[in-house]
Amino acid sequence: MKVKVVKKILEANDRIAAANRRILADAEIFSLNLMSAPGAGKTTLLSKTIGALGGKLRFGVIEGDIQGTHDAEVISAHGVPVVQINTEGACHLDANMINEILPQLPLEEIDIMVVENVGNLVCPAEFDVGEDAKVMLLSITEGDDKPLKYPLMFQTSEALIINKIDLVPHLDVSLEKIRRDAQGLNRSLKIFEVSCKTGEGLEEWYAWLQERKEAGSLHGAL
Amino acid sequence: MHELSIALSILDIVRDTCAGQGCGKVEKVRVRVGKASGVMTDSLLFSFDCAKSGTPAAEAALEIEEVPVGGHCRDCAKDFTVDEKYVMECPLCGGADFTIDKGHELEVVDLEVDE
Repeated sequence: MKVKVVKKILEANDRIAAANRRILADAEIFSLNLMSAPGAGKTTLLSKTIGALGGKLRFGVIEGDIQGTHDAEVISAHGVPVVQINTEGACHLDANMINEILPQLPLEEIDIMVVENVGNLVCPAEFDVGEDAKVMLLSITEGDDKPLKYPLMFQTSEALIINKIDLVPHLDVSLEKIRRDAQGLNRSLKIFEVSCKTGEGLEEWYAWLQERKEAGSLHGAL
Repeated sequence: MHELSIALSILDIVRDTCAGQGCGKVEKVRVRVGKASGVMTDSLLFSFDCAKSGTPAAEAALEIEEVPVGGHCRDCAKDFTVDEKYVMECPLCGGADFTIDKGHELEVVDLEVDE
């Protein structure tokens, strides 16, 4: 006898992600899932962004790391609410981890929630945590072959921030190739070229983030 | 990707389905896996066999239907299917304006159970 099922295998994660999205939407919070390889500059970008926009927008941060509280300490120096999740080996954050720590954050005092995912170019792209937008960071020192080697993250992100462009003169990498391959994988990908060290290009990212926050969730009615 | 956790999720779905319908021994679990879903089928088969004991699917075989990546090109107005996991340009006309709508599937389709 055949028993029809037709059920999505990752449905449990998707269901919790939808619940997270509802909690954040009810609190009028715009949420970002910030992803990159280790060392690309997620925490530095976040520090700069909070420093520049913190007067206008109230940030809240969820830090995902395998272990340690380094990033949470850096972010909390800005006086914003931050919770550190230690995955103790897991290579990505999932919707349930976010769901469990949301009660620890003062949601009514937050306009933008940034989930800084575990540094990894592979797995974070596969798990919806309930964010409104996925943004990825690629540092130029990682090489221009990355879009074609790790396509999924480039495909699922709304925006790509290419960081450390102040180092371009010292490296054999082609920004043009990164742009071309990333856009080949994702036509609508918004690309920013920045240096968190010199500040170059960051204004455009700040402007986009504020506009994107106003647009809110693109996931439609919940 | 995370084949063991996917195998466990499949077994959860089997258990929920069996509990709801009161079915007997499960002989086969059929799943549909898109080629671009990031799942390695060999690893999923191995994980399923490791994890199935003590569940209603303890003696079940996992049958994986692989779904190729496919989409629609707006430049040439045709549907296409490819062997690769990722599409950089329309394989028919080389155009850039296309959408991918197949190849990301990851779902349990049905169960074969002993009556």
